[in-house]
Amino acid sequence: MTATVIDAQAERSQQEIRRLRQRTLLWLRYVILVVLALLFLFPIAWSFINSLKLPAEALAVPPTYLPSEISLKNYDELTTYGKIGIAQHVYNSTVVALITVAGSVILSTLGGYGFARFDFPAKNVLFIMVLSTLMIPFQSILIPLFVMIVQVDLHDTLFGLALVYITFQLPFGIFLMRNSFLAVPHEIEESALLDGCSSLSILYRLMLRLVLPGIVTVAIYAFINSWNEFLAALIFMSDQDKFTLPVFLTTIRYGIWGDVNWGALQAGVIVSIVPSLAIFLALQRYYMDGLMGGAVKN
Amino acid sequence: MNSRKPLLLLFALVLILSSLPLAAQDDQISMTMWVRSIPFQTQALVDEWNANNDSQIELTVIPSAEFVTKMGAAIAAGEPPDIASIDLIYTPAFAAAGQLVDITEYVRELPYADTLTPAHMELGRYEGRNYAVPTGVDGSFIVYNIDLFEQAGLDPDNPPSTWDEMLEAMRAISALGDDIYGYWFSMNCAGCNAFTFLPFIWASGGDVLSDDYSEATITSDPIVRDALAFYNTIWEEGLVPEGASIDNGSNFVSAFTGGNIGMAGMGNFAIPLFTNDHPDLNFDVFHIPGKEGGAASFGGGDVIAIASGSEHVEEAWRFIEWTMSDEAQIEIYAANGQIPVRLELVDNPYFEGDDRQMTAASALAVGFTPYTTVYNDLFNDPNGPWLEMLQVAILDGDIDGALELGQERFTQIMEG
Amino acid sequence: MNLTWTQRRKLTGLLFVTPTVAFVTVFFIIPLIMTIFMSFHDWPLFGERAFTGLENYQELGKDRQYRKSLDFTFRYTALVTPPIFILGFILASLVRHNIRYIGVFRTIFFLPVVIGLGVSSLLWTWMLDDRIGVFNKILLDLNLVPKAQLFLGRPNTAMNVIILSVVWKTVGFTMILLLAGLQAIPDELYESAEVDGAGYFRKLIYITLPLMRRFIALALILSVIGSVLSFDQFYIMTRGGPRNSTISIVFWIFNNSFTYFKMGYGAAMSIVLLGILVALTGLQLYVLREKE
Repeated sequence: MTATVIDAQAERSQQEIRRLRQRTLLWLRYVILVVLALLFLFPIAWSFINSLKLPAEALAVPPTYLPSEISLKNYDELTTYGKIGIAQHVYNSTVVALITVAGSVILSTLGGYGFARFDFPAKNVLFIMVLSTLMIPFQSILIPLFVMIVQVDLHDTLFGLALVYITFQLPFGIFLMRNSFLAVPHEIEESALLDGCSSLSILYRLMLRLVLPGIVTVAIYAFINSWNEFLAALIFMSDQDKFTLPVFLTTIRYGIWGDVNWGALQAGVIVSIVPSLAIFLALQRYYMDGLMGGAVKN
Repeated sequence: MNSRKPLLLLFALVLILSSLPLAAQDDQISMTMWVRSIPFQTQALVDEWNANNDSQIELTVIPSAEFVTKMGAAIAAGEPPDIASIDLIYTPAFAAAGQLVDITEYVRELPYADTLTPAHMELGRYEGRNYAVPTGVDGSFIVYNIDLFEQAGLDPDNPPSTWDEMLEAMRAISALGDDIYGYWFSMNCAGCNAFTFLPFIWASGGDVLSDDYSEATITSDPIVRDALAFYNTIWEEGLVPEGASIDNGSNFVSAFTGGNIGMAGMGNFAIPLFTNDHPDLNFDVFHIPGKEGGAASFGGGDVIAIASGSEHVEEAWRFIEWTMSDEAQIEIYAANGQIPVRLELVDNPYFEGDDRQMTAASALAVGFTPYTTVYNDLFNDPNGPWLEMLQVAILDGDIDGALELGQERFTQIMEG
Repeated sequence: MNLTWTQRRKLTGLLFVTPTVAFVTVFFIIPLIMTIFMSFHDWPLFGERAFTGLENYQELGKDRQYRKSLDFTFRYTALVTPPIFILGFILASLVRHNIRYIGVFRTIFFLPVVIGLGVSSLLWTWMLDDRIGVFNKILLDLNLVPKAQLFLGRPNTAMNVIILSVVWKTVGFTMILLLAGLQAIPDELYESAEVDGAGYFRKLIYITLPLMRRFIALALILSVIGSVLSFDQFYIMTRGGPRNSTISIVFWIFNNSFTYFKMGYGAAMSIVLLGILVALTGLQLYVLREKE
């Protein structure tokens, strides 16, 4: 009798200990997570805080931790920075990104549908050709791309840069869209086919909605990658008026007369971070789907 | 269907955005001009021109380190600026590639053609034809802080004339305090050190290139080693601030204006900056000395040229000719403290009585400029062999390794 | 025209893929062939070009900086990969279970991935500055260093701080891949291992790592390829310095093609780079196929 009571008591206290241990571990986990999260957020936060300092304070040596006064002066200076101000560069980046998004989405959707649903001569060869470009890093074909873009007078045009970016996006886009179309059951299409709808109208009226998640994913990647790209923009744009944001920011870094306007640079960093962050945060699920779908499931 | 709306909207947006005109068009001649980021009076010239002429010039400032890359890309794309103010050192390369308009006939008409600064005219010539005329004259010399010289017990009227004297002066000045240094160099700036360090070698009778520019003489000319050892001593003894070792040229001019630097290599272009923006700075200049004496200077600066393919050659030349006129040379150049490009105008009302300007201008008499189509790859490129050699020798103290790598990379570039 | 239904389907399918195939042909296949073609020429950015046979490839052997860049690129890759991996694995383990708010932490660790490498490099250059940089400010205030450190100006520290910035920027990506791997392992395996008295490290070595092999290999290869191709961080943070010690292979191709105007030579180097990359990607495809 007493023995079982003691056993039960022992068990209860052992459970308690286990629960306590688990809770401590959980708390410990949170503490580590919070510390790491703060470290990860620090650079962005620090840049943001400094962009709000007065321009003179942003140049202070040594730097101050917190702004003595909150000011939007650095952003203001950006609007007239260089010859044309940041608005032109935001415009450039936006146009390039939107053309890239539109082009990648349209081409990937058409191509993905074709490869997923139709049989035609040389289909496998063509598909392998498209996919094999995944193995060719764009860095290794920049020289002939430059020569070609110059030949057709698209150098220094936002459209020319966007064409290059669309190409960089295509292999991934086709792959993803083909998988999206493959995931749609055949029956849905077949009934429409029997009703005599054309292939294009089936794609347009029926399929687009079903593969919308894939389209959003392709669009997000096209946007973020073209918005952030640096090397090709550096090579294909020589007219300062056409610089995209990342290239423009490096000109602040090197300064026109040798002085670096650090406050304005931080304001510029924030301006160029915000759109990608916003899109990512709003459509995170699709972004992660793309990462998993593109990288793992093949 | 809902799904097509966003796509259509996106399309419409793209179409609208890409059809917006980026700049208003009109029928007057408008020309583009590029200049590297050296504060000559280019902006003032362009403003004055635009205010008084129908044709308009749009000026773009390109960071110096990127000028050749940007210019090359623009030329390759068939979209060069009409007018380019080019570091004179690059003219042979651009002229050799057929990228500049032959202006020999125009130059012949100039009554003052013979008095245009010879180094610039020489560099602007290729196979006997003229492709460029001077627009910014810039010799190198040493500036020194008179107040610091006096505090250190040095005679400001008798500035150093050998390397040893310079070292002694630096040591004396550095001893004045923790934040006071005898010297400044921008050791992460390739062009700065071609401009201010090469003359130390030249003034001692040495060179890094053979007389006919066919080969590198880095390992064969003992003066090169001595000059590197001289600068290495400056670094090792802490006679320059530590930050000098990573300065990419941002502080090439401004470091000296802090008042805590005894001496620094400098160019004419900086003198108006010092006198206008830093009236309290008590400075004078002396020629860059050789090991045991002598003097040399890098004949630097910019030439102005018309790019092949410009549709406004006549009008561009009209502007260029005007920049060399008495009016522009005296009222814009000299009045702002910049040396005129015509030697006979160095004697002008604005320079009268300013010994510093006269000494600085006289540096041009000992000025020398290398003539090679691969100048950029050898000297000015931030990733070129010149800067790497200096850093390895001066900052790391590995002079033998530096000489060997310099010789090897110079040779590879000059052969290729 | 009288086409049968099947023929029409074939034609339609071909029409659907034509734009894509055309794009890929014009912008990938032709440039690839052109790269090979150009690599046999002296091809200046502007001016006359001439056929030179294998000269560009022979030149590679004489190019001291090319050897240095190859060496640097591989050294960088070897040094940056382990921290990305170890930290990525730790983060993935920390955010593995769906405890409260875990989504927020996953998002925070992933945030830097969507920032451009160019922009993040500018941000870090500024934080690492000796005069106005916050790192020196903190180190000095805590008396951890006697005077401001020139992080990017010294060959030994430049590599380390660039690695730090790249780890911050990219570790979230590796974390997500490894997280997917961790989550694919059934909990029962761990439970039965615990019954057998297995500790953390035994579970790690006998269950976690073997079952994640495919994910680890994938993350590894993607990270290695990214590192071999890196350019932005070196161009922006150090401009290849100090002592030209941080010029990556892509950086050197860029310089030769667009600053020295030797596009033929740049093309020859691109072919070598391509060879390296194809080998690495081939490895990737091999690893991915293995399980299916």
